[in-house]
Amino acid sequence: MATETTLESLQTALDSQQAVFDMHAAMNVEVFYWWCTAIMLMIHAGFLAYEMGASRSKNALAAGVKNILALAVIIPTFYLFGWWIYLSFPAGLIPTSVAGALPWSTSMGPDVTDMGSGIFWAAFALFGATTGSILSGAVIERIRVSAFLILAVLLGSVVWILAGAWGWHPDGWMLTKYGYHDVGASGVVHAIAGFFTLGVLINLGPRVGKYINGVAQQIKAHNLPMTLIGLMMIIFGFFGFLGGCIIFNVDTTGWTTIYGTPTNLSAFAFNTLMGFAGGVIGCYIATRDPFWTMSGGLVGIISVAAGLDLYDPGLAFIIAICMSFVAVGTAKFLEKMGVDDAVGAVGVHGITGFLAVILVGVFAGGTPNVGGNPDITLYGQTLCAIVIAVLGFVPGYLVSLLLKKLGMLRVPASVEDLGLDEVEILAHPYPETVPASIAKS
Amino acid sequence: MGTSITTWENVSAYFTFADSPTMLVLFSIGVAAIVVGLVGSIMKHEKEAFKNHK
Repeated sequence: MATETTLESLQTALDSQQAVFDMHAAMNVEVFYWWCTAIMLMIHAGFLAYEMGASRSKNALAAGVKNILALAVIIPTFYLFGWWIYLSFPAGLIPTSVAGALPWSTSMGPDVTDMGSGIFWAAFALFGATTGSILSGAVIERIRVSAFLILAVLLGSVVWILAGAWGWHPDGWMLTKYGYHDVGASGVVHAIAGFFTLGVLINLGPRVGKYINGVAQQIKAHNLPMTLIGLMMIIFGFFGFLGGCIIFNVDTTGWTTIYGTPTNLSAFAFNTLMGFAGGVIGCYIATRDPFWTMSGGLVGIISVAAGLDLYDPGLAFIIAICMSFVAVGTAKFLEKMGVDDAVGAVGVHGITGFLAVILVGVFAGGTPNVGGNPDITLYGQTLCAIVIAVLGFVPGYLVSLLLKKLGMLRVPASVEDLGLDEVEILAHPYPETVPASIAKS
Repeated sequence: MGTSITTWENVSAYFTFADSPTMLVLFSIGVAAIVVGLVGSIMKHEKEAFKNHK
């Protein structure tokens, strides 16, 4: 017997199909950010290898443990207050009431009707962990692990996310007042972490033996190949990081930037890869040094990340090459000034991220925003870049100064001589290796 | 024992074992205390390790 088709039955079938579509659309969003977050973890695997390789063998495990613990403390502290800061401080330093992001709210745990909160929290937590890793590399071989963890929590769960609230939130004052544009987080992740690191390095001081009679010495990495592989792993992780910077809309809008302007992964792909290539070439030409050649890949991507959606790929390539010289020059300048940045983090992340934000104003000034926000301007980008640099530097400097005054910042010189692995870790990275001095005799 | 879920009908947010505001706040305080305790224990370990290698 045939079933009679009515308008009501058609509507019911349509509603049913729509419900299935909506569910799958929401699941696709979740799946996309899930894998972005997973790929982002490769950044931390990379930083782990990079830092251990960049250390001398007597400090290799200490550098690794410090990095692993940074990830482990930033995640719970970002759960406790980091996400709340992002949602509560877009207007500045006065919080708006966002009870939903407090750790005991229903949105901060399993909820079968909420396919967004957890996955976005996870992505942002790993952005925060990236800032901790940026700090971690620069301070190897002499910082106390306890002091480092205090600083890492401050940076990874407070300072960067405050900048994120200002420059990456749809209601952030940098966007609503100045049209701030930083889609790939050159400013709110890299610049802020780099300037925070600079503040810490000034108080921490150089490693023993870095300067002899005021002349900078090269302290060689004990495993440069591992460092290079680590850097390449960070580049891989960047694809998760940058994927996490784009908004997956389930309606007809398609992809948008975090500011709601149209873009897509293709634009990101063009400029990420061209920036990477330009950075490698630029740093190779500038130094011929393997470490800097590979670091150039980071410089290149960070230098174009703020405008990934706006640049022509050729322009991104040229920007990356030019910024490589600036990053290398910054590292040399800081070394001459007595700042021992073991991995060049201030140049690679801080100065590069800072200038990347300004360059959006130079090359894309006048580009409109949506939702009534002002156009992108050179003035707005410059002002916001300065705010970010100050917001990063001041807490890093002040808290590390306090730790220094309390005698809690740095390990004793005798411990530094012996090596942190021997004293603190009670394990050896290469226990069966015969030291060269013994082998010769 | 421990679960607040008696049926999966109309379930949204759920907190097995801790389905009360007080418990959730206590868990949060516990998480915070563990992180602070970790840093404290590392400080203690550093102090002892540095003392043994003077």
